[in-house]
Amino acid sequence: MYSVILTELGISVFNDGQVDKSFPFSNPVKEYLAIKNKEAKLNELINYLAKIQRGVSVSDESLLAILKKFSIDCHIMDLEELEKVQSTKPQIIVDSGFASNLQDTLGKLREFALGFSSSKVTEVSQSPDLHIIQAINSLDEIDKIANGLSSRLREWYGLHFPELDNMIDSINGYAQIVMAGKRESLSKQVFEEAGFPESKVEMLSLILSKSRGGDISDINLSIVQSIAKQILDFYELRKKLEEHVESEMQEIAPNLSAILGTAVGARILGRAGSLKRMASLPASTIQVLGAEKALFRSLKTGSQPPKHGLLFQHAMVHAAPRWQRGKIARAVAAKAVIAARVDVYGEGLNQTLLEKLNIRVDEIGKKYENPTEKDIRKPQQFSRGDGNFGGRREGGRREGGRREGGRREGGRREGGRFDERRREGGRREGGRFDERRREGGRREGGRFDERRREGGDRNERSSYGNRREGGDRNERSSYGERRREGSDSNRKRKKFGRR
Amino acid sequence: MEEDNQSYFWIKSEGEQKISTENLVPGNQVYKEKLIIKKGIEYRLWDPFRSKLAASIMNGLENFPFKNNTKVLYLGASTGTTVSHISDIVGPSGLVFAVEHASRVARDFLDRVATHRSNIMPILQDARKPKEYFSVFGKVDVVYVDIAQPDQTKIAVDNCDMFLKKDGLFFLVIKTRSIDVTKAPKRIVEEEIEKLRERFEILESIDLHPYDKDHAMVIAKYKN
Ligand SMILES: C[S@@+](CC[C@H](N)C(=O)[O-])C[C@H]1O[C@@H](n2cnc3c(N)ncnc32)[C@H](O)[C@@H]1O
Repeated sequence: MYSVILTELGISVFNDGQVDKSFPFSNPVKEYLAIKNKEAKLNELINYLAKIQRGVSVSDESLLAILKKFSIDCHIMDLEELEKVQSTKPQIIVDSGFASNLQDTLGKLREFALGFSSSKVTEVSQSPDLHIIQAINSLDEIDKIANGLSSRLREWYGLHFPELDNMIDSINGYAQIVMAGKRESLSKQVFEEAGFPESKVEMLSLILSKSRGGDISDINLSIVQSIAKQILDFYELRKKLEEHVESEMQEIAPNLSAILGTAVGARILGRAGSLKRMASLPASTIQVLGAEKALFRSLKTGSQPPKHGLLFQHAMVHAAPRWQRGKIARAVAAKAVIAARVDVYGEGLNQTLLEKLNIRVDEIGKKYENPTEKDIRKPQQFSRGDGNFGGRREGGRREGGRREGGRREGGRREGGRFDERRREGGRREGGRFDERRREGGRREGGRFDERRREGGDRNERSSYGNRREGGDRNERSSYGERRREGSDSNRKRKKFGRR
Repeated sequence: MEEDNQSYFWIKSEGEQKISTENLVPGNQVYKEKLIIKKGIEYRLWDPFRSKLAASIMNGLENFPFKNNTKVLYLGASTGTTVSHISDIVGPSGLVFAVEHASRVARDFLDRVATHRSNIMPILQDARKPKEYFSVFGKVDVVYVDIAQPDQTKIAVDNCDMFLKKDGLFFLVIKTRSIDVTKAPKRIVEEEIEKLRERFEILESIDLHPYDKDHAMVIAKYKN
């Protein structure tokens, strides 16, 4: 009765409990894994077994599969035998000559275990999805820093040229002007080079001559300019990261990218931990990823569960009327999981996934065209998801009108963005909720608009640069730093007295 | 200093009696725990806020099977806080098979703990698939499970079936986070215990409060 036993240190052929022949591994981790992955060649062993010409029992499924490929007559051991192998493994190893005694066996097995674990860790660290996650997180981190620095820049350079603050909404544009120096050295040319439209250049030039700002010393200016320089550098880095995430996502997760867009896809990936993990999550989890706090709160208090977390950033979700969003988020999540699975198996882009999603979303749009009474009565509790994450707008699917509204609003929030970003750091849900109140309180009947504003925020983030020059100035100034701080503490205060 | 049972020790530090283990690798710290030398022997303070096994001891654990020579299968090694103390206790002739599947934490576990301690066999694999564990052999005296999975009791039982000796002890950490803070956790523990009764004799069940807000430790004996 022949048996073939796989151990970490080599393969042994036993005959009636005696070692017949053994094949030690020279690089155990590698060779053992090759067998587990069914990639091993095992020529020597196969030649040896071929000569035996009798059914041999094998201790390992993968090894069995390899042997069968080469037409060796073999079968898997019965449970009892397997258990015996498992319990006497160290002795088998000694008998096979892979180690000199039990102590030595233990040392070698441990070496194997360490080597195997390390190689697995290394392998995982190389996987591109983890690098994408780092990239998208860096991007968010940069936004946080750049937004903070930008507020500071506006305050500081604002002592010298206060009017500029209300004129220039884009961080990048403002920083470029600061780089040009003092008011005296600003000119039409500078404004043009910074990429402002003609009307704006005219206005800037006009204001320049009538500024109420104070003088700024050379030393102060040079420091302010260093800050501006940093911001511009961040802007460059951000662009690079964005492109990188974009292309990597297309490469390793084309289906996910098609369904979610690269930025939202990458963020969801980040929450899930890896592409593989994402592929194994239920769609309902994906749907609320990023709204964990709201989810737990709902479990605890029986309040409405969140309808979307990060998915709120998805163009289809947030462009939809409020009462459709949950349904659309669910449809998107369901397709996203399938997409992740297809991506894990590396089968390339599957066009039908996206088509099906589009059809479904159209369906929802038609079927739920009008809000039900319930929808009207009860403004949705968690509708904002993690919308303030402000990913890039995806695919331009949103309709123009709505976005316009959003953009305008978004434009005035330069100062506020710091908070916004900070909130992402952890307080997300709570913050979101209160923010909603705050906003609601600030302006009458603004609820719907306000939701639109989200869109703007997001836009704005992507624009980071130049896009938003047409902002409504008056509004913006009424939304300055101080107010924001006030609302921040408001938020804290209200945190506990919710509902 | 007062010897308790050869396994862990009570040491006075900052005016309090604290639990500790004798450092198997003198000079080596695992989680910034305090090292204390008494009579030439180095001890590592064992933080009950960081380790649920230590918390169980603080809360009156009666069954303590870990001693010199013990073989343990530990599921959910994480970064190795608890594993390192068990490694101290079982000593050079004991053995801890430490299973963890998240490679991010496994990296720390390897760097901080497993590479320095010759009685640890790191197993970077999924506890759901005990058949595929590499480098596990024989049966163990204790199975310790702390993996915080919804189906953890089943996973744990499967592992016991494969690797736990008859009459061996089984430690199960149960996470009781749930809706009602006062009543529900107890029920959750009871439900989990119910699942074990057929195969195990329940020895004790310990609430880890105040060291751990929503966890309990159940200790059972494998009848099979
Ligand atoms: C609560 S932590 C354990 C803490 C640790 N026992 C200690 O006291 O220091 C749970 C760990 O179990 C791991 N885990 C969860 N499911 C697992 C599985 N199926 N297989 C292996 N490890 C798992 C997690 O990655 C995590 O590191």
